[in-house]
Amino acid sequence: MASLSLQHIGKVYPNGYVGVKDFNLEIADKEFIIFVGPSGCGKSTTLRMIAGLEEITSGTLEIDGKVMNDVEPKDRDIAMVFQNYALYPHMTVRENMGFALKLRKVPQDQINKAVEDAARILDLDQLLDRKPSALSGGQRQRVAMGRAIVRNPKVFLMDEPLSNLDAKLRVQMRAEISKLHDRLGATIIYVTHDQTEAMTLGTRIVVMKDGVMQQVDTPTKLYSEPCNLFVAGFIGSPQMNFIDATVIERGSDIVLTFGHNAITVTADKARALRSGGYVGKAVTLGVRPEDVLEVGAPAEGKRLSEPISATVSVYELLGSSVMLYTDADGASISASAEAATTARTGSVVSLVFDLDKLHLFDKQTELAVCH
Amino acid sequence: MGSTSKKRTFLIMLIPILVLFFCFNTLPLIRGLIYSFTNFRGFGGYDWVGLRNYVDLLGDARVGNSYLFTFKLALAATLLVNVASLVMALALDSKIKFKSALRGLYFIPNILGALVVGYIFNYFFTYIVPFLTNTTSILADARHAWIAIVIVCAWQSIAMNTIIYISGLQTVPEDVYEAGSLDGATGWNKFRYITFPLIMPFFTINMVLCMKNFMMVFDQIMALTQGGPAQSTESISFLIYNNGMAGGQFGFQSANAVVFFILIVTISVLQMRFLSSREEQL
Repeated sequence: MASLSLQHIGKVYPNGYVGVKDFNLEIADKEFIIFVGPSGCGKSTTLRMIAGLEEITSGTLEIDGKVMNDVEPKDRDIAMVFQNYALYPHMTVRENMGFALKLRKVPQDQINKAVEDAARILDLDQLLDRKPSALSGGQRQRVAMGRAIVRNPKVFLMDEPLSNLDAKLRVQMRAEISKLHDRLGATIIYVTHDQTEAMTLGTRIVVMKDGVMQQVDTPTKLYSEPCNLFVAGFIGSPQMNFIDATVIERGSDIVLTFGHNAITVTADKARALRSGGYVGKAVTLGVRPEDVLEVGAPAEGKRLSEPISATVSVYELLGSSVMLYTDADGASISASAEAATTARTGSVVSLVFDLDKLHLFDKQTELAVCH
Repeated sequence: MGSTSKKRTFLIMLIPILVLFFCFNTLPLIRGLIYSFTNFRGFGGYDWVGLRNYVDLLGDARVGNSYLFTFKLALAATLLVNVASLVMALALDSKIKFKSALRGLYFIPNILGALVVGYIFNYFFTYIVPFLTNTTSILADARHAWIAIVIVCAWQSIAMNTIIYISGLQTVPEDVYEAGSLDGATGWNKFRYITFPLIMPFFTINMVLCMKNFMMVFDQIMALTQGGPAQSTESISFLIYNNGMAGGQFGFQSANAVVFFILIVTISVLQMRFLSSREEQL
């Protein structure tokens, strides 16, 4: 396995479109890195540049300390799992998996052994003599993984490998990939637009938007300390609430007001807002639905805000919990409430925020002020 | 529109075509089959001769030579056309400038009539090539005249075959090539292990169409050699037409035409069977 270094990587297409801007990342051996972002953010382009399928316009790509910019894809010792699997339709599963070794003129008995070992890991033993057209989506996906494993590459690249599977199979395969990473101890770079996949699989996540890297961090850190409004909104489901609020100084306290509502922030956030010169200015208040509680709901150890009166516009029962979509003086606030709540569409509820879980963002730059 | 009215429209469109097809295709076919059992000379009366025409076909040296020549020409032209058009299609499908313009340019031979092309090449082989090389015309050489016919047939057929191969190449998913490039399939290996197996259905159709068309070669012979020199370029179609219409062998050549028809159908079916078994569904 290997480490990768991407230094100031950029991609500009012949028509002038900038796909990726100044991408910098050091990937350690055995890391599971996730590139996540909306469509067109440059995550697949970056992956394809690492694979050698796209030319790198600027910057340097190193694998194990060797510059790879002009090295042919086959010589980079990289295996890739494609979104549509890209299996060879005219070859059996066995031939698909052993193809790379065959081209490298590896003796047939070694190829057979490698294919059978990989097939065992992926539970493909019974399918080795079938052609891809006789396989289900999940089986094809596993063959694509098997084809990568057989090569024993330095780096595995995966380009949205689960996006063509149904929801149930996706969850199952997600677990399989996670197990595979532990088992192979492989360096994996994985592209997805599904933030759940990103959060569950990655050791580190790279969030991208418009070709620009927004934040690189562990899933936990990314969730609890998003560096800007985009990351805060992209990571987490259901999405974080964003409320336009004004910062007011009231005695020694700092209060955030929106409509008729006012929330007194904790001392550390007050300090950050004062030192940043935000008093008297507008900021964006971010709070995740699970940090919005109904008054009276269990909240041991939590510092709660003043209650906010809101009218429920949509009630969604999710089984173990309920999503309440409410309106509080023009601010849309979604709250994840207990399933036992008596609130229904049209009812007026009292909501409180967990003060330690508030995120404040600069309205102009959209950068985080404090968490 | 009611179903009766729909049915009437359907019949109004279908019946004239069926009548025309029957009059100009089915009826001549049946008449030809009937004449093959007679000694009809193309005019006057005739007698039934049973299977004698078919028996005589087997012993006729001129007919035998025409079959040999036709097979030789069809095989050579089919191979040449398919190799050349595949190379051309690969070139025209790659990332080159003026791709669309070049595709249009290379298709021009196909829109010209075979006779027109034949007469142009006749002039080319009779006057221009001998003048440039200081030799006699290849068309006057009984041993090599067939090569000129192969060249003309190929020149015109490559266009259509190239288009069919280009459309075949476009059905191969790009990500399969990309997976191949990561696996090490580049250059010849890419063609051998990925491209060719995946365009096999197009290879089948091109092989069958070429073989069938070249077995029935007529216009090019008519325009270039008229079967000469010394009957060395007499194709089966040309012999059937020439001796059947002008040689007083209408019945005998009808029998030849029936055998030829069965032969072409058999070859086409065998080719389809053999090549289709190697095809893969994408």
